[in-house]
Amino acid sequence: MHQRNRFYLAMIIAPALIIFLAFFILPMARLILESTRGEQGFGIYLTMLTTGRYIQTLFYTVALSLGVTLATLIISGVCGVFLQRNNFFGKNILIAMLTFPLAFPGVVVGFMIILLAGRQGLMGSVTKAITGDKLVLAYSMTGLFLGYLYFSIPRVITTIMAAAEKIDVSLEEAALSLGASTWGIARDILIPALTPGLISSGAICFATSMGAFGTAFTLATDIDVLPIVIYTEFTLSANIAMASALSILLGLITWGVLTLARSAAGESLAASG
Amino acid sequence: MKKNTHLFYSQLAITIITCAFLVIPVIQSIIAGITTNYIVGIKSGLTFRWIVEVWQLYSDTIFRSISIGIACLAVTLIAGVPAAYFMVKKKSRLTRLMEEFLVIPLAIPGLAIALAILISYGQNTAFRMSWSIILVGHVIFTLPFMIRSVIAIMSSIKINELEEGAASLGAGFWNCFFDVVIPNAMPGILAGSLMVFTLSVGEFNLTWMLHTPLTKTLPVGLADSYASMRLEIGSAYTIVFFFMIIPLLMAMQWIAKPRAAAEPIPEKEQGIMKINRHQSTGDVQELKPGENTMNKKEKTGTAIRLTNCAKTFTNGTRALESTDLMVEAGQTIVILGPSGCGKTTTLRIIAGLEETDKGGQVFFGDEDVTDIPIEKRNVGMVFQNYALFPNMDVAKNIAYGLKIRGDSKEKMDRRVDEMLAMMQIEELRHRNINQLSGGQRQRVALARAIAVRPRVLLLDEPLTALDAQLRDSLRIEIDLLLKSIGITAVYVTHDQAEAMALGDKIVVMEKGRIAMIGTPRDVYFKPANRFVAEFIGTINTLKAKVENGNLNFQGGTIPIADIPDLNIKNQSSVELYFRPEHAVVAKTGQGHFKARVISSFFMGDRTRLIVNGETAEPLKIEALGRQSFEKGQTVDICLDLDSLFTLIPTKTE
Repeated sequence: MHQRNRFYLAMIIAPALIIFLAFFILPMARLILESTRGEQGFGIYLTMLTTGRYIQTLFYTVALSLGVTLATLIISGVCGVFLQRNNFFGKNILIAMLTFPLAFPGVVVGFMIILLAGRQGLMGSVTKAITGDKLVLAYSMTGLFLGYLYFSIPRVITTIMAAAEKIDVSLEEAALSLGASTWGIARDILIPALTPGLISSGAICFATSMGAFGTAFTLATDIDVLPIVIYTEFTLSANIAMASALSILLGLITWGVLTLARSAAGESLAASG
Repeated sequence: MKKNTHLFYSQLAITIITCAFLVIPVIQSIIAGITTNYIVGIKSGLTFRWIVEVWQLYSDTIFRSISIGIACLAVTLIAGVPAAYFMVKKKSRLTRLMEEFLVIPLAIPGLAIALAILISYGQNTAFRMSWSIILVGHVIFTLPFMIRSVIAIMSSIKINELEEGAASLGAGFWNCFFDVVIPNAMPGILAGSLMVFTLSVGEFNLTWMLHTPLTKTLPVGLADSYASMRLEIGSAYTIVFFFMIIPLLMAMQWIAKPRAAAEPIPEKEQGIMKINRHQSTGDVQELKPGENTMNKKEKTGTAIRLTNCAKTFTNGTRALESTDLMVEAGQTIVILGPSGCGKTTTLRIIAGLEETDKGGQVFFGDEDVTDIPIEKRNVGMVFQNYALFPNMDVAKNIAYGLKIRGDSKEKMDRRVDEMLAMMQIEELRHRNINQLSGGQRQRVALARAIAVRPRVLLLDEPLTALDAQLRDSLRIEIDLLLKSIGITAVYVTHDQAEAMALGDKIVVMEKGRIAMIGTPRDVYFKPANRFVAEFIGTINTLKAKVENGNLNFQGGTIPIADIPDLNIKNQSSVELYFRPEHAVVAKTGQGHFKARVISSFFMGDRTRLIVNGETAEPLKIEALGRQSFEKGQTVDICLDLDSLFTLIPTKTE
């Protein structure tokens, strides 16, 4: 490559680089600095890791995100492979319905859960008609679980369908010709072939659940998940140092999980939206 | 395949339940938004009252969200598309860092980013109070999605090949970028744009932290209405949001689809090629008129000279040892060798796509072009995968090099006509590239390379991607074409038949070195070493003892005096080589030696035999005529004594 082209290349990367430095690297550095500016200095991290409430919140958030990830992978895996492999009337409508909520912001998802399982929700009316008791799940951890499931399923299904499309059908035919059962094929062919896709979409699902704020914000502001705690520390308690420290902790966890997944699943993570 | 119905229906049930979970609340919210009283139900009546009320209360948030979305899109386009191009082009430490940046919107929660931006820039009141602070947040969040979408498409269309194609026609950096890179990355740019706009319109996590009461966006307004308004208004507001988001989603899916279907249509190949082959076999004379229209001056072409050219890649791989090569003006030279022998590297050094290591020089005629980039070298290049620009039709592809040179419209049209006629593809003038068969693409690629009247024509395995039959017919056409225009041509291939047919001279390469340069006859009949002999055609080895003026070997004896050109000196034994066609089955008692048949392969025009001269290694010989052979049968073999040759042992052995 010749000198002039190198110069032009440097020129065209400049805008993105400036944006990246000025509005991400610099603010993130400030955030780290700010977390130690409180009365305790670096002691804030010790406080954070020894205060029962924070640790409990962290535990809840991780447990919730893991649960959502697992459930999403199972449901989306079954639906995605099924839709990719079978042709039947109405299939395209089902795919359209499953991917429609892809663009819903967290607040709208929260509202969907309120309509489904809230005080005036469908689930309440149905259970009241059957058992006489109104079942209201929306404003609790269960509601949050449903909400995260709601926004995770469409994302993961699209990834799984794309991955399933790439599986060589002749592999399955070969397994069949060797006498493999349906479960055998799922265990020996489908799941191994889907594994990179499952790892990467699972990691994204986990990361999104860890950082999701809108859904929890809509359902109730007193559910103990990390983003809500960060928000209340910042706005209500004006404890900027603790809010910053918690944000850094949250960022480190999600980034760590994504990096692990990326090394496990290879480049496929970059390709899945 | 037998369908497992039980499994099918249980999977269908799970899918339908999942669908219901996702869709029922959407339907509920739509109903709630147009029902007078949701608690009472639809029987309370339908109304647009709530939607009107939402419009009065929140229309400003809708317009603000659209404005921010458009502004965000503009910024991500200007910054993101070039950044994606940079990351595809250049693999450096900066690229690794930028790749890390692409994971950010997923890895770092929006809340944390918003907090960081607030802490850093929140003191600037004017900025804090305006919607630009929201825009900044949205840009950081969405930019990676744009970059990723564009990178995905750029890697899938092999942008590097197209760029090399454009550069070989004279396009500089910006021409490449705007004529080839951007148009071909369009589907990715479009998909990224829709993604960015949709994400920006729906963004809440960052926006909630960054907004002020006067800069509410749509999702902020939604959260506000869910918290403080009656359910019907929240629902009506959600309906408005759906109406905004549905067209975007539909557009996204529409874009994603045609790309999967846009593959070439190969079924026409046979038919069209037959017509062309038919013409071309009787067309030896007709191709000649093309010669008259070519510029006379180019009849002689330009000589190419490489001195001391070597290539070491940055990872330390030595692709080419220090090499000197001379191609005379107007000559066709074929560089032949197995993969990894350095033949393509040599061609790319001549083209200017690779720089030679320090000390190497490339001359076109008397001009030193070593430091001249490919776009200024005035070469014509045909690439293995054609590198035709999918965003232009056939005529525009052919005219591209002329357009870069600033030629007039008339001149371009005239030249395109000329080229289409020469290649016999007039009917393809306005076709899209993906509507062409492999053979047609190859003709267009040739036409495009010749159209600029290059000083030298460079062909990088131009026939490798085609099937055998097509390869043969196109080889003949290329041969006629090169002879008729008399251009200096360098042709790289691994196919010895192509090399023999096309080359005035053949350069055989092995492990980054030139093993031999010679005419096709020299290379075949007088190979310089064992590698050349084995790479071009098949050879047999005959180990013989020198005794009393005779050569004695398993199965026979030949007087040394009968073999011309044999220089034996004082050796006691000698290795003689011969090609299969120089050893034929003779009538009993008339051969030079006897051997036993191990196996025989009937090829139609002849029979290839593998025979065993008792203990020597198996020999491959030929039998003409209709005779058939049994395994174990003894045959008499007659050698063409003029065609026996010896070899100087190569250093590697």
